Amino acid sequence: MQLFAQILVNGILLGGLYGLMALGMGLVWGVLNIVNLAHGALIMLGGYAVYYLYTKGGIDPFAALPIAMVLLFLFGYLLQRFLLNLIVRSAQLNTLLITFGLDVVFVYLAQLLFSADFRTINPPYAGSNIDVGGVTIPYAQLAAFLVAIFLAAILFLFLDRTRTGRAIRATAQNLTAARLYGVNPRRIYALTFGTGAALAGAAGGLYGVVSQITPYIGVTLTAKSFVIAILGGLDKPIGVILGGLLLGIAEAMTALYLDPTFTDIISFGLLVLVLVAKPAQILGRA
Amino acid sequence: MKNLQRAGLALLAVGLAAVPFVASDTLVQFGINALLVATLTQGWNIIGGFTGYPSFGNSVFYGLGTYGTAIAMAQLHLPFGVGLVAGGVLGVAFALLFGIPILRLRGPYFAIATLGLAAVMSAIVATIGFAGKNIGLILPLFRGDTLFYELSLVLLVAATGTVAWLARSRFGAGLVAIREDEDAAQVMGINTTMYKVGALALAAFFSSLAGGIHAYWITFIDPGSAFDPTLNVRMVIMTLFGGPGTIFGPVLGSFVLSAVSEVLASKVSTVASLFYGFVIVLAVVFMPKGLLDLFQGFRHSGFRYFAQNMRRFRL
Amino acid sequence: MTAPIFEVKGLTKKFRGLTALSDVTFQVAPGEILGLIGPNGAGKTTLISLISGTLLPTAGEIHFEGRRIDGLPAFKRARLGIGRTFQVMKPFPGLSVLENVTVGALFGATEGQEKKRAKARELARELLEFTGLTRHAEQRADQLGGPDRKRLEFAKALALHPKLLLLDEVMAGLNHVEVDEVVALIRKIRDRKVTILVIEHVMKAIRNLSDRLLVIHHGQQIAQGKVDEVLADQRVVEAYLGKRRQ
Repeated sequence: MQLFAQILVNGILLGGLYGLMALGMGLVWGVLNIVNLAHGALIMLGGYAVYYLYTKGGIDPFAALPIAMVLLFLFGYLLQRFLLNLIVRSAQLNTLLITFGLDVVFVYLAQLLFSADFRTINPPYAGSNIDVGGVTIPYAQLAAFLVAIFLAAILFLFLDRTRTGRAIRATAQNLTAARLYGVNPRRIYALTFGTGAALAGAAGGLYGVVSQITPYIGVTLTAKSFVIAILGGLDKPIGVILGGLLLGIAEAMTALYLDPTFTDIISFGLLVLVLVAKPAQILGRA
Repeated sequence: MKNLQRAGLALLAVGLAAVPFVASDTLVQFGINALLVATLTQGWNIIGGFTGYPSFGNSVFYGLGTYGTAIAMAQLHLPFGVGLVAGGVLGVAFALLFGIPILRLRGPYFAIATLGLAAVMSAIVATIGFAGKNIGLILPLFRGDTLFYELSLVLLVAATGTVAWLARSRFGAGLVAIREDEDAAQVMGINTTMYKVGALALAAFFSSLAGGIHAYWITFIDPGSAFDPTLNVRMVIMTLFGGPGTIFGPVLGSFVLSAVSEVLASKVSTVASLFYGFVIVLAVVFMPKGLLDLFQGFRHSGFRYFAQNMRRFRL
Repeated sequence: MTAPIFEVKGLTKKFRGLTALSDVTFQVAPGEILGLIGPNGAGKTTLISLISGTLLPTAGEIHFEGRRIDGLPAFKRARLGIGRTFQVMKPFPGLSVLENVTVGALFGATEGQEKKRAKARELARELLEFTGLTRHAEQRADQLGGPDRKRLEFAKALALHPKLLLLDEVMAGLNHVEVDEVVALIRKIRDRKVTILVIEHVMKAIRNLSDRLLVIHHGQQIAQGKVDEVLADQRVVEAYLGKRRQ
């Protein structure tokens, strides 16, 4: 029972971070209709940003997160404004293709600049933890989880309460209508992609704290973000976080009760099952 | 004009068939790979380019063809011909079985479901003892690059011939209608479910045979390489690069990109991959409808072709 | 009344507990034009989708030429000779106008020769002539203007050789001249012995065209019969016309 509780807690802590990873992807997908295959690479870049801010700049990783988010926001904004905006109205496969190309570019640039070595962001408190009724909760993981939830809440409030957020949601519903509403789509698209990249940056920094980063972590993270974004309903922050928790718990349970090699079978098998069994529910927004 | 084209194509086929008798071993080996990849790309063109379903599960067909052939030969000691048939049957059966539920999904949902299927399949195969678990299988050794080359060429010609037939048949017209608007296709009398499954089965047929040939040629297979999802990504990229929904675009695209990565791979591999990435990004911006369309469009309107495209697809 | 070509009995459609259409019953005689009216959201398009088979009914029966068809998939109904247009027009955007219509001829109700591409194209050219689209034959469908898109919807549906044609708001967004053209076109189609069910908001047009009217309101069938009688019906005035006057 205690083991079960421990695994559940591990799954939840991991799931929060998964949810944060998927938030940016779901936002970009839901609003811009771009399935960003370079999303994992943006997470990876965020991880390196925090890593260097900590090791070279001596800034605590959690304090470095906002800086990494600003950097990634600017990067994403420019990317959308001057590259992706050029092709957003062509076939959806083309957006898949170009983001795949960007993923390749980012990964190998990272390999050239940062080397292929494993990096871990290791603040002094990394090893310490708190014991709650026999369940061990590492501080770093807990903090990462809380930050993920906090950012999801901020995103929700941003989309729901601010003028820019409402413009973004209007764009998601209907581009033509949004134009009539006085929205400049080029700017809104860039803002949205920038926001998605900033969220990826935050997720990357947290990932570096709780796990290891290499230039190649992106592919799996893109795939997981994709799964969660669909489970959660794209640009619905609360749904996406819940989707992340679901996947995190499922993976933790599989690793314990079946075999660690089965985690991918479970997460992707779950996805295929959900898609096939309940297409109407998932596609309800379409 | 039409006869001239046909003669040109026949000449090209003969020229390609002659390659192993005049070229170096390295070139023939590159040729086998390029032909097999072109066949896979052409297979993807059937489901992705003509029917409009962005499949990431074609690498599963390839993997099943690989394993069907390998199990028949390595475990059951059957001849290559039987193995190839076994691989083909396995691939097509999988397409028919999973096609119906999966093809109900559209767009990115279909893409991710097939991607999920691919991940699950490779993990499942890695647990089956009969299939060599995650270690893989070793096939009997057979040195005959000329045979493998000619076999691959025949398969590519057959795949391209099938696509040429699609481009002018009722079946192909139905697939294109599904790609353009599935709801409208349905009320115009097209049995969309059967057509989609048929297209997927055709793609599976060519992909699994390519896998079978590759398995016997390379003599060693394991789940990681047989179900490699990046192989599927290459099919997509090569199709889009050449021109989806055309007859020769995918073949052209895959030959060009295979050659580019072959040349680059001999240099520093990181820089080569970086360059590959840039090529893809630039290709999408400057030729969003593929290489073939670029040729035709450029001949028609010169540099204005780029401006026209840009104006159409930018926000 | 002659034996009906088409008959709907107790047709009901629920979407997760929400009743979109409830117990609709009517018949259509061969060669008749039946007008289907009702306020927005009344369930008219749902009815058309149930008949063409893109939706399946929760309860009720649909008979066509004496045959029960409510279990058949959409493509089979199309091949039996039920054609439809979409309110949100659905051309094949990347294909030429001619190719759009050719697809219908390739898969439509007539067996045999039209299935050959050349023959199908010939038939398609005739239909482009009939609908006045000949000069746009080689243009991509997504580059057509509004009225021409409507004509294309007609041509595509006619390529099936339909015996029953379901028209979903084909006049929406057209000006007076264009509406008159479409009315003339529908009459011309009827002269080809095609039975027609037409949904329309343009009152003048539907009054001119229809032999009979069927009125739906909140998914309920509230009146059916001769045009003038139906339009004088108190419930119809309240539900539909009354609302429009506000």
